[in-house]
Amino acid sequence: MVLLQRPHILLLLIDTHQFLQCWIAFGSANEEGQQQEEFSEELLVKPLPDHKLLAHFHFQSSAPPSTSNGCHHHLFPKAISQLVQKFRVKEMELSFTQGRWNYESWGGFDPISSSNAKPPGVELWAVFDVPQHHIDASWKNLTHTLSGLFCASINFLESTATYSTPEWSFPPASGNVRYGTFPCEAVCTENLTPWLRLLPCRDKAGIALLLDRPSLYRGFYHSQRLHLTSTESSSEGIDSGIILEQTLTVVLQPNSERAIEVHASEKHVQPSWSLSSIFGKQVSGRCVLAKSSSVYLLLDWGLVAELKFPNKENGKSAANGLTSENFWSNPSFELSVNPDRIFLEESSSHSKSLSILYMFQVEKYSESEPFDIGLMWKVPVAWLCQQTPLHASRFFMGSGNERGAIAISLKSTQFTEGFMSANSKDGSCELRVDVFQVVPWYVKVYFHSLRVFVDQQPRAVSDFIEKIHVSPSKDKMSPGVMEVVLKLPCRVNTAALTIEFDKGFLRIDEYPPDANQGFDIPSAIISFPNFHASMVFLEDDSLNRSPLLSKFQHNQMHSVCTILWIIAQCAAKACC
Amino acid sequence: METFINPKSLFHLLLLPCLLLYSSIAYNSSPVEAAMHTNNWAVLVCTSRFWFNYRHMANTLSLYRTVKRLGIPDERIILMLADDMACNTRNKYPAQVFNNENHRLNLYGDNVEVDYRGYEVTVENFLRVLTGRHETAVPRSKRLLSDEGSHILLYMTGHGGDEFLKFQDSEELQSHDLADAVKQMKEKHRFKELLIMVDTCQAATLFNQLQSPGVLAIGSSMKGENSYSHHLDSDVGVSVVDRFTYYTLAFFERLNIYDNASLSSLFSSYNPSLLMSTTYYRKDLYKRRLEEVPVTNFFGSVMETIHTDAAYKALSRRNSGRFEDEMSLDQSVHHIKRRMLIKVNDGDEIHDINPEGEEGASKCPWSTFRNKFQKAENVDSLLNYGLVAMIPLLVISTWLVQ
Repeated sequence: MVLLQRPHILLLLIDTHQFLQCWIAFGSANEEGQQQEEFSEELLVKPLPDHKLLAHFHFQSSAPPSTSNGCHHHLFPKAISQLVQKFRVKEMELSFTQGRWNYESWGGFDPISSSNAKPPGVELWAVFDVPQHHIDASWKNLTHTLSGLFCASINFLESTATYSTPEWSFPPASGNVRYGTFPCEAVCTENLTPWLRLLPCRDKAGIALLLDRPSLYRGFYHSQRLHLTSTESSSEGIDSGIILEQTLTVVLQPNSERAIEVHASEKHVQPSWSLSSIFGKQVSGRCVLAKSSSVYLLLDWGLVAELKFPNKENGKSAANGLTSENFWSNPSFELSVNPDRIFLEESSSHSKSLSILYMFQVEKYSESEPFDIGLMWKVPVAWLCQQTPLHASRFFMGSGNERGAIAISLKSTQFTEGFMSANSKDGSCELRVDVFQVVPWYVKVYFHSLRVFVDQQPRAVSDFIEKIHVSPSKDKMSPGVMEVVLKLPCRVNTAALTIEFDKGFLRIDEYPPDANQGFDIPSAIISFPNFHASMVFLEDDSLNRSPLLSKFQHNQMHSVCTILWIIAQCAAKACC
Repeated sequence: METFINPKSLFHLLLLPCLLLYSSIAYNSSPVEAAMHTNNWAVLVCTSRFWFNYRHMANTLSLYRTVKRLGIPDERIILMLADDMACNTRNKYPAQVFNNENHRLNLYGDNVEVDYRGYEVTVENFLRVLTGRHETAVPRSKRLLSDEGSHILLYMTGHGGDEFLKFQDSEELQSHDLADAVKQMKEKHRFKELLIMVDTCQAATLFNQLQSPGVLAIGSSMKGENSYSHHLDSDVGVSVVDRFTYYTLAFFERLNIYDNASLSSLFSSYNPSLLMSTTYYRKDLYKRRLEEVPVTNFFGSVMETIHTDAAYKALSRRNSGRFEDEMSLDQSVHHIKRRMLIKVNDGDEIHDINPEGEEGASKCPWSTFRNKFQKAENVDSLLNYGLVAMIPLLVISTWLVQ
């Protein structure tokens, strides 16, 4: 009764109770923060044989599993964690790409190209942790959410005619994976803006400061990728931990007019470059929220073989002389900044020389003393990058608009010999090739007409195809999916798969507004599961684990993929 | 028994007027016209595809830049671009779009956000944005989340004709479609005032069917006239801007966020001989005088900042306000608390310029009382006053029951 007569006291009591509860909850959340959220940023630069430069930005954010509902993030982007919790995404990869990865010049058998050479346009695949009959609804909602988040037309992937369910072609092969790609999607600043907003420092500090939009989009190849994995949650009340990896891979041409110095006498010297000449900006210090911030310069083993390093023959024993002057200043090139550490590749089964990785710590630099790495070439150097075991290409055959054939051709490269000798067992070796191809419903393929040609001779299909999974297309409902495992002899010169198709009839409202440009057929994915594109670098300092280098080491899970793209030019004439 | 009934009825009699007072404030049953202008939205649509229609993209992006510069954030801008010019392979300057051959301004900038792009810019999606009838999965950034206090700027550019606007060479938006959508918007209280600005050939014909009040429309040319491009950029290779938008921008580039230029000065700045067409504006549906309406009512978002000498009130008082919410004794008091809290969070966007409100103040003491409520800065003390006022009633009622 007393309390009722004094409502003020009642209010005060409840007020303090609530306040104490809130304070305790907050305090306990802090106590449980043994695993903190982490963010690291890295940039890897690599000169390419055709006078271009590869720049690979790698940003990694991780959020530990938390017990409270509605967890408190201070580094991890909330949009991503909400997306993962709402749609119960186990693993997801979304990439926006413009340009073609030139496998001949830029190589295909290194960790960067095997995971970052993506089909043009938008590619999305996701694995869900929901019952089988809910996956399609989750996929649809996910595509809409991502389209709003990244300013792209990813929502077009919601229709069943655009996405497919690969059975065993994808590394997380479980049947819960959905794969969709939209090849004619433009990629521009509006896709990069929200992608950068997911980083704690945006593009205002740290390595992301280098991302000058005109320089990026002037490149020959540009791919921004977002990969997230959520770790298993052991119990119901615990939100799973999430690892978000964002990479941006660009291939740029160093502008020779803005280069540091070019020797006038040598015409074919590689253009010298520096970060400020390529991007127009310098790194003025690290992102203060980043646990580690470093820049790497990778010299491929092919390049190292051509350069004249004095201690080259010693190999492993040169570890003692790693910090010696020889490794960054020698007759062939000169670095403008001394590296902080030098890593040598541990061992390479398929080559005699080893790659060298120079590491530069960005922590030492600040706004008054910005970081700018530059490489000046003194002599012309020509080298080759490691190629994929077989070089793949895809093209159309036939003429006219009614029918034709799709052909996938595989050719051996000069590196194939080296692969095969390393891989032979019991004298007879086989090269396993996985092919995953999706065609839209209006390219009606006839799977019975699948033919295999080995060394230009038609052969029986059952001789070389070990496993095949086919999902025929339904008009306007689902695309045609083909997954093939080929076993080719190791000494194969060329191999080809052909399959015939008829063009389906499209109503007038099913043509896009710019039908004169033709139709883009999604890329096929060719992978070599037996080969591992990994680079292991000596790391004596276990505290200094870099996410980028660990990705290099653990690339054994991902096979080398050769990704192709083709515009159906013959289909273009069929319209209007 | 008799003594038991009377105090109770007395208690009810005392409480009832208070309940009525609070509930009427809480539910704010004022008509829509008296709703305050609380936020600004912009819907910018470019309907043309292909490289030679670069100027339409530049038009839309110029407006986008202006509207952002004058204060409307990306969350309240719906930008629809039918094609990609900046990263087009024919663009010599990747990630850059210019509206002038001097290339002084890069309209694309670093922070552009396009909500509908490419094949998504269709008449269906446009009408869905206006009317708000989306599928459930459509994300918030692609919705026009305006309310009855919103001023919306709708800018459309592309190729048009007599009573139609062409969408991407495959569809048309007709004048009665647009009028119908605007009528639906009005029914659903999705805007307080709407300014439609169209830069196409024969633009004025697109407004022929409009009937909803509160709509102001301006078109770049009348029936039978074409709208022309301004100049050709020989470096980029195409015309980079249209005349109407060029002169609109010339007007806005002289402004900053605090200027008071009125809509009538904007409309009178158009010179028919320079535009080579006659601009037409339709103001019969718009009640206010154009001289009194600042352009930032539509093209920008001016927030009123209230200078306080004292330090900002500590967070705990706000928390206590929220906790009081959960266990409040009176439902209508609960409503008014929530509404007051929301109002204070948006407090810096409340415009004081409300001529009708101030005119009515002298006539109706009720509205002055209401205005005082709405202008109150210290909501917490107001809540406390309300609660304190309830205490004597409670004391009396319990004493009577005893």
